[in-house]
Order: sequence, then structure tokens, then C-alpha cells
Amino acid sequence: MTRKISTLLSILLAVSFVLAACAPAAVTATEAPVAPAPATGKTVLKVWSFTNEINTVAIAFEGKHPDVDVQYTMIPMTNGEYQTKLKAALGTADAPDVIALEASFVKSYVESDMLADLGSLLPDAKAANTYTFVTDVGSNAGVTKAFAYQATPGALFYRRSLAIEYFGTDDPAKIQELLSDMDKYAAAAATVKEKSGGNTYMVASSGDFQNPFFSNRAQPWVVDGNLVVDPMVEKYIATAKLFRDNGYEAQAQQWQEGWFAGMNDSLVDANGNAKKVFSYFLPTWGLPYVLAPNAKSADGAHDTSGDWAVITGPLPYQWGGTWLGILKDSPNMDLAKEFIRFSTLDEETLTNWATGVYTNDYLKAIDPNVAPDQQQAPGDFVSSQNVVEKITASFDNSDLSKFLGGQNSYAGFAAAAPSVNAKLLQGSDDAIQRALNDPINQYLNGAMTLDEMWAAWKDAVRNEFPDLIIP
Amino acid sequence: MAYKFTTTLFRALIYLFLFVLLLVTLAPIWLLIVNATRSTVEIQQGVAFLPSTHVFENYGILIGRGLDMPRGFMNSMFLAIATTVVSVYFSLLTAYGMVVYDFPGKKIFYNFILVLVMLPMQLSIIGFYQYMSKLGLTDSYWALILPSVASAGAVFFGKQYLESVVISDLIDAARIDGASELGIFHRVMLPIATPGAFTMAIFAFIASWNNFFTPFILISSIKKYTLPMLVQTLRGDVYRTEYGSIYLGLAITVVPIIIIYALFSRYIVSGIAMGSVKE
Amino acid sequence: MQTLAKFRRNYFGVLFLVPFILAFLLFGLFPVYNTIALSFTDTTLMTSNANFIGLKNFQRLFADGVFINAIKNTWLLWILNFIPQIGIAMLLSVWFTNARLRIKAVGVWRALFFLPNLLMPAAVASLFFSLFSYFGPMNQFLVRNGFLPEAMQFLQSKEIARGLVIFIQWWMWFGNTIIILMAGMTSVPLTLYEAAMVDGASATQMFRHITLPLLKPILIYIFVTSLVGGMQMFDIPYLLTDGRGAPASSILTNNMLMYLKFSSSQGHIGAASSVGVMIFLMTSVCSLGIFYFLRDKDSKISHQMKF
Repeated sequence: MTRKISTLLSILLAVSFVLAACAPAAVTATEAPVAPAPATGKTVLKVWSFTNEINTVAIAFEGKHPDVDVQYTMIPMTNGEYQTKLKAALGTADAPDVIALEASFVKSYVESDMLADLGSLLPDAKAANTYTFVTDVGSNAGVTKAFAYQATPGALFYRRSLAIEYFGTDDPAKIQELLSDMDKYAAAAATVKEKSGGNTYMVASSGDFQNPFFSNRAQPWVVDGNLVVDPMVEKYIATAKLFRDNGYEAQAQQWQEGWFAGMNDSLVDANGNAKKVFSYFLPTWGLPYVLAPNAKSADGAHDTSGDWAVITGPLPYQWGGTWLGILKDSPNMDLAKEFIRFSTLDEETLTNWATGVYTNDYLKAIDPNVAPDQQQAPGDFVSSQNVVEKITASFDNSDLSKFLGGQNSYAGFAAAAPSVNAKLLQGSDDAIQRALNDPINQYLNGAMTLDEMWAAWKDAVRNEFPDLIIP
Repeated sequence: MAYKFTTTLFRALIYLFLFVLLLVTLAPIWLLIVNATRSTVEIQQGVAFLPSTHVFENYGILIGRGLDMPRGFMNSMFLAIATTVVSVYFSLLTAYGMVVYDFPGKKIFYNFILVLVMLPMQLSIIGFYQYMSKLGLTDSYWALILPSVASAGAVFFGKQYLESVVISDLIDAARIDGASELGIFHRVMLPIATPGAFTMAIFAFIASWNNFFTPFILISSIKKYTLPMLVQTLRGDVYRTEYGSIYLGLAITVVPIIIIYALFSRYIVSGIAMGSVKE
Repeated sequence: MQTLAKFRRNYFGVLFLVPFILAFLLFGLFPVYNTIALSFTDTTLMTSNANFIGLKNFQRLFADGVFINAIKNTWLLWILNFIPQIGIAMLLSVWFTNARLRIKAVGVWRALFFLPNLLMPAAVASLFFSLFSYFGPMNQFLVRNGFLPEAMQFLQSKEIARGLVIFIQWWMWFGNTIIILMAGMTSVPLTLYEAAMVDGASATQMFRHITLPLLKPILIYIFVTSLVGGMQMFDIPYLLTDGRGAPASSILTNNMLMYLKFSSSQGHIGAASSVGVMIFLMTSVCSLGIFYFLRDKDSKISHQMKF
């Protein structure tokens, strides 16, 4: 037995020495807290984001600037992890240069003094005819600190075959008329339930229509330091309750397995019965990133491609979007600014981005080590009106329009985009809305009354924002 | 006769109870391992208790989605080994100082160690975090390794152990041979203390391997994520549609520990006993 | 000469402690001091300036029910897992060490019961999160075998979420407790039992009058270490639901509340420190108090053992 131990101990020791000697990149960095030595002679630009999406444009950037090495870091947003890690990294030696900011918390950075002034890029934004609300979101008190490559108006996607079955038509204009407000949408949900014998749900999760309601509030969450509950919020909760109590929703959680399964008809209830979902509320990016990649089930047995259609839906809304900013202490300010210009304001980049030029092969030619699923599928809706006008027609007979049974989604989004307004966005949205999720679930389940729900939410908000005045 | 019968019956009931308890204990682990080998479709179809054949497929999906398990594994391994070596060496050093030498304040120091074991030191993490960030040591493994120089629990264990193995004649003999005090510790004491050091090492290794909270607060760049930090990202939306891969990702963290345990369970069990009994 | 050598050796003894003491001062004591200092300020991660605000952070903790609720939850989750843990462990240890029962393969049983203790809590929580999700295997199993009429939102029920945390904690720790208890029981001298048997004591009497009193130091050890661990509970409740203690803040623990303040949108590390300070005080007073009082009495009891 002793021999066994000493053998193992020596192996452990040997391994630790080997590890120490040819330490992984991560470990060397701990020993040299200075900016990583440019052994390759390349300037290092550190970019952080919460999805792998921007890595595509980062590689394209390297293609244009062979002397630059973009170090890309992805941290998922689950439970706010990205937001926390980002805050924790501020001011450390490994702090990124360029950071991606999601719509729900972009304002907290834009309002803070952490980001650099990007005013020098405003002429480029003007030249590209960037949607005003995109620049507005990235600005605070007249100073612009972040730009976005996307504009993100929302839409409603529904299944054509199911529409014919339950409503006798799959014509988008007629369905839009049928679902033109939330009351009609709820009435249609009853029809779907009745005609399908409860086997088709109107929507996978009542969380789907949270954004449409919240986008149509008259006032933001915080007005003059006071927490405000807009009537639209109350209306959302009432509608969600209606859907839960009547079994109009599949009770899936957004971004969880059931929600995705509904997109490709592989949703199965606990008894093993197949269930279907009639519609999904998704914005521009939801089509190429969420719906299209999940339209085929894992075993290939179900495929809903071509069976979808898109309409404005009951309420116009906007959902999400990614802005890019530069931490003000970045040692590579000029390069970082060039990166932001290239990825958000350059018409050529945005055209390539939206039309599927950045394929995996394209990226591989620049960086042979790129992951096999890294690419940008066509169809993301970009922030430059010039590009939008130029490329809309190209989607007429694209794969994307085949996915939508011949519809050109881009044209629809282009019509909706100018009406998006960004006045409701605030830095505190993310925290306030996340605090609402659990109380709402409790209320929908019947475990809390409406009053208890509001009280629980206010407690949680007070904990996040000690200085907020809460009624 | 009746007495013997009741004992037999009682014994049968005990075995039944033990068996049920064993099922409860192992079922989650078994389900995890089985599901790690099943495809997403199979998992959707229902619960099964026998493994399937999709391990490599699941692994491919896991890696393909950008979850760098090998790196997390290496990071955790490096950190666990470094922490283990540091904590075992310095704890034995401290314990040796307490066992072999006599000096004023020794008793106080011992009581102080005992008190430290009973304090929830993790709760000063925020102060620790802010202090490390001022030193530029956040997002660095140093901040996780250096504090293990002072691991009160390991010193306590080391002291219990050394008291039972230290031979003062051997130390005196070494002194006569002209060895330095530190040299005696290295050349005479450490070899004798190997079995105890090994037990301490296993515990330090497992504690570091499983530690989630401290690295979760201190480490911010994903390249340096340890395995527990990576594993919890499996709950995020990127992976949610690939059930088999999720279970495989979890299983990867669990299997090495089970193997270590299968090899050295006796040391672990006796180590726990030793840490508590001789108090 | 002799005394000088002795002095030299003693002096070396202190030197051996120097790394520990230095590391403790730097990485143990100073962070505690720093946490206390931060708790009187409004420091955040998002701004560079911080002000001294006196006891305001502490007053805010008591301004609403969140902090008290977190303390209640932590105690509840700990006590409800500790009782069955010590109960079942005690029962099994008595059986395993009972010479009359002669349970076979005690070492194997014990080793298997201990196994969950070694698993990564982060993985265990993620595992239960998957098993108990709405479209997950638990619902499939229960519904198809007729135990449930329809699928259930397990993780949205307060009782079930708490029950799961308690179960996981129990599951991970009862094997550990068995090993410690058995070590204690086997160290009780057999002669004591033999003498008692001669006096005609029953098994229950022997347990109450010999085993329990002699086990007391070990029971205190288990109690205190479990308490200190329980008061810092984080991984399992944090990763089982949304990280905010859902459903209905029922599994929001002390440590999670501290982390919530740390990770709030401004990164209120001053407020987070005040939570840390409060729990540190509460736990230290409890654990040191229990240790101090129970230990003193114990030595008297063991000397006056009577049947």
C-alpha cells in the first residue's frame, strides 16, 4: 500500500511540475500581470461578450488587420453571470478593451463613467444612416459611448400548417388581422386549444409576450427616483394569468428545453403525448439565432422549416440588441475604436454580416482554428438604414424566405424599425425585470396573491437599489 | 430460540433498510451516468436505467458548443494540485513546529487554530475580493493558492497525525549528524509522515476540486474558469436543447473523483475518522 | 551550552509557524478587517468614489424582510437536514458497530454511503435542476407510473424546492457523519460494555449511559462543523433555481444574499460586506458558544458516569 501511495504522490508531483512548466495560457497570465507579451508581434485586443456571435466579426476584423490578435471571451448571461464578471473585471489587469452590452443593461454602463466617449465615430454613424434609436440608447447626456450593429424590432412567428388547420388560412395579412391585439390573441388561443383538443398551445411560455407588453409602457420603471408600475405591466400579468389558467401556454420557460422543443414539434408532455406550439414572439435576431437553428429536432425526425410565417403581431415591440463600448482605461483606444467602427458602422461589414458572407469557410481562411459552428447565418437585421435599403430585396428568394414559406422577413422588419423608440430603456431594467420573474411564476401558479407578488418584487428591487423610492 | 429468531428478523429488516438507503444514495449518480451515455432523443422518450451508446456523440456536441471542458479540467487540476502541495507542505511544517518544539504561547497558538476551524472564514470573501483587486490579483490563481498556506483544518489534522508518528530519538540523531532543523523536517520527518500527508492531500485535492464559491467570485475570465464554474454554465440556453451533453458534462466532473475514491477509499475513511476522534 | 541549544530549538519552533501566521494575517485576518471596514461605506464596483455612511448598510438590512428571511431560510435548511443526518447516521453506526448483529461488509456499506460527499456540489445542483425540470425525467417517471396525475413545476413550489435542498444536503453528508460516529463508537473501551452487561444493562441503557456520554465530544464536533458549513450554504441553493432563491425566496440563504448584493447592477460591495459581517458574527457566536459551553460540562459528566 505504501508503494502505491508513493507512486501516486510522485505522479502527482510530476504532473504538477509538468503543468507548471508548460503552463496553460491562463496560468502564465497570472504570473505576468502586465499585458500579455506580444510574442507574435501582434497587438492584442480583448473583446468580451455573452454569446459567440461577435467572434465572427472579430475574426473578420483580424482578416482586415493581420497585425491584430483579437482575444475573444464569451461568458453566458445565465443568472446574470456575464454582468457580474464584467463588473468584477473592471480595473483589473485582464480587463477587456471592448465589451458587449445587452439592451437590458447597456444603459447602466452608458450612464456610468466606465465607458470611453465615442463621439469621434458619430460622423461614421451619420454616413451609414444608423437608426436614431440605436445611437440614442448608446448616448447619455449628449455623449455617445456605445454603438450597435443590430436594430431589433420584434415580430410574431406562427406555424402555417396549424394556421390553416385552426383558422382556415395561412395568409399573413389575414392572420395579422385575426391577432391584431392581445385580446384577439387570447381569443385565438381559445380557438387553438378547442380545435386541437388541447394538443396545441398558442404560445410556449407566457414570458414570450412580456417584451411586447413592456415595450408599450407609457413610462419607464424609474421616474425621478421612484419605482413605477405602468398599467401595461399589470395588463401583462393579467394576460399571463389568463393563459396559464386556461392552458393556452405550454408552461415552458423561455430558453429552456421545452421552449426550444416546441420549435421543432418534438415537445412531449410527461405522459409522452406530442404537443405543438402555434406561435413564438421573437425579434429580428430570433429568426437566424433561435428559430431557424432549432427548427430541426435532434434526431432529424421533425423539421418545421418552411412552415413558418412572420407578422407584426398584437403589439409592436423591440427586444434585446447588443451594443459595443470601450472601457475608458483601455490601452488600445484607437484600435478599439476602429473595431467598433468596423463592426457596427462599416456598411461593408454590415452587408456581409446580414447576407451570410461570413460562413465558416470564410472565417477558416482567416483563422484555421475557428470552431466548426462559428459563422453568421444570413438574416440578422442591421443598424444601418443604408444597408437595410440596399439588401432587403436580396432576401426575396433566399433560404430565409423559404424558411418562412416565401415571406421576406427583412422587408417587414424594415417597415417596423423606424417606429422603435428607446426612451423606455434604463440601466436598472435588467435587475428590475429579473426580480419580477419569480414572483410572477408564483402568482401564475396560485402560490401567491397579486398583492403578495408585488410585495415580493418590491423587496427584491429594494435590495438591488437601496436608494430607489418604492411606493 | 425466540431470541435468535427476532435477531434474525431484525437483521433482515436492517439489510432491507440499508438496501433502500443505498438505492437512494446511488440512484442520482447512476441516472447521471446513464443519461450521459444517452442521446437527446432517448432522454426525451423516458427514463432508463441502462446505459446507451452515445457518449462520443454527446462529447462532440459539448465541445462543439464552445464549452472548453479540457481547459476547465486542466485549470481545475492545476489549481487542485498547487493548492494541495502548498497546503499539505505548510500545514505539516506548522504542525511539526507545534509538536516538536516547546515555546511560550504554544498552547495559545493551538487554541487559536482550533477557533479558526470553527469560524466561517468564507464570509470575509467580499473584503478579500476588494483587497485582491487592489493588489491586481483578482482573476489570478495566486489569490486561490496563497491563502491555503494557512489552512487551519489541515494543521489541526497534521498535528494529530504527527503526534502519533514523531520519534524524538530520530530527530536527535539527525541533530548530532549536524542536520539543520529545516533539513530534519525535510529529510527525516516528511518521509515518515507520508501516509498522513497523503490523506491530507486527498482531502485538500477534493476540497479544491469541488470548490465553487471562491473561484466564482474571484475569477472573471472564462479561460481561467475551473470545472465547477464551467459546469454550472451548462444550465444556460446554449446547451439546453442537448440533454445528453448536459449530463455528460456533469459526469465528467464526477467520474475522476469516483475513480480516486475507488482506489483510496480506505485512506479517505480513516482520514475523516482521524480528523475528529482525537480531539 | 545545553540551554542555548534548547533556546535555539524553541526559537526554530516559532520560525516553523511564521509562514502560517504571515499567510493568516494577509489572507485571513486582513480580509475580515477589510470586510468590516467596507460594511460602513457605500462602495460599489461601478463607481470609483466611496463614502463612509456609518451604520446605514446595517439599518437597511432590517428595513425589510429580506435579510431576516435569508437567516430564517438558512437555519431551516440546515436544521432540517441536520436532524435526519445525525439520526440516520447514529442508527446506522449503532447497527454497524453492534457485535451481536454482525452486519456484513460494513466497510463497503459505509464507503458507498459516503460517496455523494465527494461529488462536486455545482454538478449535483445542476443534475437535480435537470432531473426536476418541467420537461425532465422526474416528471416523466412519476406521471407515466401513475404517481402524479400531470406534470408538476417542482422547482416553482416552495416546499419542494426546500425539500430538494434539504435532501441534497442530507444525501451528501450523512455518510460523512456515519464515519465520524463509528470512529467514536469503536474507540469506546469494550470493558465498559462488558461491565454493564454483567450488571444486566439493556442495549438501550448501554447506549444512553455509555455510548452517548462518551460520544459527546464527537457529537459537538459534528454539530459545530455542520453548523459552520450550513451557515455558509451557497452552491446547492444558488444553482438549483434562479440564483435569487426562487421560488418565492424560499431557498435564499445568507451567503446568496451576500452574493446578490455583490452582483447587483451597481455591485454594492459595501452592502454585501454588511451581510457578511452580520452572518460572520452570528455564526461565530453560535459555534464558539456551543463548543465552549458543551465542552466544559462534558468533562464533568464523563467522570461521574453511573448506571
